[in-house]
This record gives sequence, structure tokens and C-alpha cells, in this order.
Amino acid sequence: MATLHLDNVTLPLRSFALELTLAVRGTVALVGPSGAGKTSVLHAVAGLRRVAAGRIAVDNAEWTNLLPEQRAAGLVFQDYALFPHMTVRQNVEYGGAAGDLLERVGIAHLANERPAKLSGGERQRVALARALARRPDVLLLDEPLAALDAHTRSQVRGELHELLGTLEIPVLLVTHDFEDAAALAAQVGVLVEGKLRQLGTPAELVAAPADAFVASFTGANVLAGWAAPSRNGSTRVRLADGTTIATADRAHGEVAIAVYPWEITVATSPPHDSALNVIHAPIRSVVELGPRVRVTLGPVSAEVTAESVARLGLHPGQDAYASFKATGTRVL
Amino acid sequence: MRLLAAVHLTVFAAASLTNVFPKIAASASYSFGGSNMLAAQIEQGAPADVFASADTKLPAQLHARGLCGTPVVFTRNALVIVVPRSNPARIHTVSDLTRRGVKVDVAAAGVPVGDYTTKVLHTLRLLTAVTKNIVSRETDVRSVLSKVALGEADAGFVYATDAKTVAGKVTLITLPGRAQPDVRYAACVVSTTRHGGAAKAFVTALLGSSAQAKLRAAGFLSRR
Amino acid sequence: MTRLAAVIAVGAASFVALAFLLLPIVAIFARTSPAHLVHQLSNPVVRDAFVVSLKTSAVAQVLIILFGTPAAYLLASRRFPGHALAVTLVELPLVLPPAVAGIGLLAAFGRFGLLGSSLHTLGVTLPFTQAAVTIAVAYVASPLYVRQAIAAFEATDPSLAAASRTLGAGPVRTFFRVVLPLARGGLIAGLALSFARGLGEFGATIMFAGSLQRVTQTLPLAIYAEFDQNFSATLAMSGVLVLVSVLLLLALRIGLTWQRSTSTTSLSLFGLSHSN
Repeated sequence: MATLHLDNVTLPLRSFALELTLAVRGTVALVGPSGAGKTSVLHAVAGLRRVAAGRIAVDNAEWTNLLPEQRAAGLVFQDYALFPHMTVRQNVEYGGAAGDLLERVGIAHLANERPAKLSGGERQRVALARALARRPDVLLLDEPLAALDAHTRSQVRGELHELLGTLEIPVLLVTHDFEDAAALAAQVGVLVEGKLRQLGTPAELVAAPADAFVASFTGANVLAGWAAPSRNGSTRVRLADGTTIATADRAHGEVAIAVYPWEITVATSPPHDSALNVIHAPIRSVVELGPRVRVTLGPVSAEVTAESVARLGLHPGQDAYASFKATGTRVL
Repeated sequence: MRLLAAVHLTVFAAASLTNVFPKIAASASYSFGGSNMLAAQIEQGAPADVFASADTKLPAQLHARGLCGTPVVFTRNALVIVVPRSNPARIHTVSDLTRRGVKVDVAAAGVPVGDYTTKVLHTLRLLTAVTKNIVSRETDVRSVLSKVALGEADAGFVYATDAKTVAGKVTLITLPGRAQPDVRYAACVVSTTRHGGAAKAFVTALLGSSAQAKLRAAGFLSRR
Repeated sequence: MTRLAAVIAVGAASFVALAFLLLPIVAIFARTSPAHLVHQLSNPVVRDAFVVSLKTSAVAQVLIILFGTPAAYLLASRRFPGHALAVTLVELPLVLPPAVAGIGLLAAFGRFGLLGSSLHTLGVTLPFTQAAVTIAVAYVASPLYVRQAIAAFEATDPSLAAASRTLGAGPVRTFFRVVLPLARGGLIAGLALSFARGLGEFGATIMFAGSLQRVTQTLPLAIYAEFDQNFSATLAMSGVLVLVSVLLLLALRIGLTWQRSTSTTSLSLFGLSHSN
């Protein structure tokens, strides 16, 4: 499989300059807040934007100064950019012979429809097929799941993951949602204000976030406080609201602590184990996310099963206890 | 014309009177153009008080239909050929106009000067030959004059008085006396006028010594 | 004002406006019998004027499309220093009185004109020719097409052209396969407007090209010339122009509806939807 190289690619953006060095082999996701320059990176690789400095190459093929039509980059736009005056088949065949792409992507039955008649998910498939019909050397996806509703999203996410697995070309996708990135890509890079903060597998980013931003981006609760080593080898951190929590990591002074929602247990009575960190606060919100429920109390959000919520009868306003182990925390 | 100081008359007059009429009566509102177009507008009810045409035919027609009073001849004019100062086509006589490629500009049929032109050429038996060289038929005599003055046309048929107004830009070529048409200007009071007295006074004053002197100074011929 | 009074006032004003606009059209057809009008169509003056008008307007329109479309696309898709000035220049003939346009054309292309004198030495003289009519018509009518074309191109989604490029199509193929079909409706609307304007052109034509039957006398010039000679011929020609205008208006409507269905931004009649 080929590798897409971005070497010191520099792009001036609205309020800062983007500088990126990245090697893409397999599927890599770039995540970050909107405005971080993610779409600009894709456009630069596709040739729609000139880079101010740096080089873009696929293996040994120099792409930096090629026009977009001279590169073989398949770009799936965020709004799909389907040609409204052409049918699905004509759209797909614009880049090249469709072959079995329509079937592979699951839109063969829509071949003679116009884009206006399709749903969001169907349009996305057409855009994918069209990009792939070009037989591209690189596939670029701009927020592939952003325009879909929640239900379609999870379905498409699975199908997209499968499809990307069958491709033998580097795939670079950008998204603002870490979960989508984790589901689709083997490597995830966090892009903030034009710089790559961390690059690693989703598990690495969760286990060892490079900084508070990466941590909160991957979904962790980030708590700020003052740390001091304690007698038994762990560290005590005093939070702003006075609560003290213990962390297994060593630290002192001003710190940020990351706690992942799924490591927090919610109960209506104080836990018996005194080795646990406990936060006692009224529940602020209970939000169902399919089979999981996000319960927010005090400064943390916990993820618990719908079953537990029903069993404990958790509801906003209720007094509750969020507990987590010292080993379930990370100092950033 | 002190009589007219109090009343603003609307006078429809032939284009060739553009320079001289305001000198004769400064306070009137003038509409200058091809006499035929003005007559047609009067027929359609345009609000004019006086009609001064470059011929006698048009006022007579209006009079016959009760649209204006008895026409009065107040001046005469001469038809001439004008060529641009530089005379690019080297025109010196009327027969030079029959040369191939010469661009001759005339007024359209129905415009008095256009009809006079046809008459002259017919008398000189040059009508067919010169017609081959006619490149445009303008709506009034001043448009013919402009095209020649700008140098776009090689020659044009206008009145002697028109040539005088752009003396530096054009050269005048007289027509043989025997071919000269009888160009008589007639004026009449439009029947629908609401200033009958002032309008009549205007027409009468045209015959007076002051107006006649101004007309002579502009190059018009005596009315008899 | 009470609600009812307001409704009556608006209704009355609308009726007056519509009647005012409609009356001259109706009057043209009411003054003579249709048979008489049709008979006039065999009048050589009428026929010749019709042919001259058609030929010169058609050629002018082709020139406008050939030169105006790329210019409009450039102005719509790129911003460069002097862009605003370029757009103003393109719109200039729109606000210029036709007579002034005629004088300008003479000053530029007349025998002793800026460019005309060079043309003259090469043996090409424009005034008094049918070509001059075409030029005058093209000059006054082009802004109507170009403005509409600019708006139509601006209304097309730029990401569609970008997508086309990433799919391997160069700028030319992208223009013909993606941009043009999507801008088609607006371009047709511009065509209809500019054709109508060109057909009705008088001042610049008579000044630059003159008026001669079968050569330069277009329908409007013939109407003026025949006004006092043959009023029914005038009516017939006016009737012809009215019918053509109605057809053009239909084309304009259809064009605008097409445009609206292929773009997400709405296109107004005189291209006021500049988004940048």
C-alpha cells in the first residue's frame, strides 16, 4: 500500500498558520474543533489550495505543484457536492467507469435518480462511489458523518468502516467527533489551531492524552486542581470546589486530571470502599444516548447503562454519588 | 418681441430654424425637428401653439384638415451640398456625387429637405445615379449636417443656412440655379392653441423687419 | 388608515399601474383590423426592416454570447484588483443614453475615430454599414446579458466546480459539463433581456449606422420613418415588436424558473444577488 506524505505543509488560515507533517498509510483521521484547518488540509492534498510551503507526495510521486485534475485524489465533500443536473449513475461515471461500485456501495437501485430525491445517507454513498470511480491513489473524506442524523450515522459508520477496510489506498478523513474517528481510523491525529497535538491509535489517545485538550476531546472529564503527594504513595488533588481526589499518577502543583466517563459509577448512596474517589452532588442532567446514558453531576459526566438508571431511578435534582478509582485517573 | 414676454408659446419648428428662431423670440419653448414628424405630432394632438415648416405643403395639409390657421410664407432658403472640410472624396460639383463609392447622406422622404433633394436630383437627371450612393436617410436636416461635419459622410444635402452654422467644419457647394427648388417656409397658428392672440402675433411678427433682418443675417432668403 | 381603505388603495393603485402598462399595447392592436396589419406585412418597408432587425440582432447576440460569457465567468469566479471597476465598465452601456452611446461609437469607430481611422486605412469603414448596426446593438444590449450571466455563475455552488476538478476534469471541461448547465437558466434570461433591448435600439443605431432601407433600417428606425408616411405600416411593425417582446418575456420567465431550480440562492431579475 502507498503512503501519502505531508512534509512541513504550511497553509495560512484566517487567524493562524497550519503546519503539518504527516504520513498516511491505511486510514488516518484528523480530529479537532471546527476552524482548526482540517478541511483546508484535505483541499491542499486534493490540489484545490496551494500550500505556502512544504510538499505533498504519494510514495515518490510529487503532488505539490500538480493541478487538481492531474492528481488522483478522491475527495468526498462535506455537503457531497453531487451534480444536481445529473443522475446518480452520471455522477459516479463522471470520474471514471462505475464498474461494480454502485453495487458495492449499495446504490445500484438509485442509478437513474437525481440527487435531489435522495436521502443524506444515500447521497453520501453516491459521493463515495463517485470519488472511487476515479481509481484514486488517495481517498479524502470531509466530515463523512456530520450531515447525517443520529440513526443513519451509526449505520453508515459501520458500513463505511467495512468499505474503508477493503480499499488498498491511504485514506485521510477529518471529523470533529472523536468517536467517529475512533470507529473509522487506525490512527487519529488531534489538530488544534493548526498544529498536530498528538498522533496515535484511539486507545493511546485515551490512555495517555498529551494534554487537557486532547483529553477533553476524547471524551474525558478534565478536572483542574492542586496536587500534593500523599503519604501512601498516591497524590492528592484538591479541586476548586474543595473536593479532594486521589490519583495514582505522581504530580504536584497545578494539575489537570482526566477521568473517563465510563470509569465512573453512579449510586444513590455513598459507596462503602473508602479507597474510592467520591463526588457528592445533585444530578444535573440525565441524557440517553441509545443503550448508554450520560449522567452529569457536579463537575463530571458519567456513562452508565440504561439498566442502572432504571434500577436506581436516577433523575435530575436527585442527590447522588459519583465514584471512581484512583487508578482510573490520569494526570495531564 | 415684447408682446410675447408674458406668454410662453410652444413652437414646433423645422430643424433648420434651430439657431435663428431663439434669436427672434427668446421666451418661447421650441421643439425642433423634421417638419413632417412635427406635423404628424400635431395631427396626433401634440400641444403646439405655432407650426413653422420648411415647406408650404405640410402647413397646407394641416390647414385643409382644420388643424391650423391659414399658413403664411415668412422666408425662403436655398438647398446646397456640403462636404467635410477635408473633402475626402474630392467632391466639387453635384455630378461628382455619382462617382462610385461616394457616401451621400440625405434626409428621409417626407422631410422637406429630403423631398427637395429628390426634386433637385430629378431635375438634374442624376436621381438614379446618386441614389446608388445614398448611405442613410436621416430624420432631419441637422442630422445630415452632423454626419458631414463629423466626416462620416462624403457629402450631404442641407440648407445654405445650416452650412453657415458649422462653417469651419464644412465646405459649401452651390447647386446650379436652374435646378434650385423653390424652398419656402410657411408658418401657421395651431387650431388647438390656448394662446390664440399671442400665437397670431408671433406669426405676424415673423414678417416684421426685425425678424426678417435676423433671418437674412442667418442666411435665409427674402420671402418674395 | 383602516384596513379596508388600505386594501382598496393598494388595489386601485395596482389596477392603474397594470392598465397604464397594458393600454399602449392594446391600443396598437385596436387601431386597425388584424387583416390590415397582416396585409402590411407584405409591405417591402416592413419586410426589409424585419429582416435587418433579425439579422443584426441575431449576429449581435452571438457576439454577445461568445465574448460576454467568458468575461462574465471570469468576473463571477475570481476577485482581482480592479474587479469592481471591471464590473462597472461592463454595466456602463446600461446607463448611457443611447444617443451618447452612438456618439461614442462614432468617436471610436468613425472614419476619423480612435480605432476607426486605423480600420479605414486597412480598407474597413464601419459607419452606414449593417455591421455598424450589429455593433451598436451589441454595445447597448451586452450589459443586460453579462450582468445576468455574472449572477447566474455566482449562484452556482463553487464546490461543484471543485468536485469536478478533483474528478479529473480540467477547467474547460468543468465549465461545459458542470458550470454551464447549472447556469443555463440565468443565461437564457440574460439572452432574452439583451435580445429585447437590441431589437428596440434606436438612438445609437441611427447615429452610428444611419438609416437606409434594406441595409441599416431596423424595425424601430422604420417605425420612426413611416410614422408620418404610412401609419398602418407603423402599427404593423409595432405589433410585430410587441409579439416578439411577449415571446422574449416568456423565455425570460422560463429561464429564471430553470435557474431557480438548479441553484440554492435565488436569482433576481437584474442580477442583484452578488454574494461577495
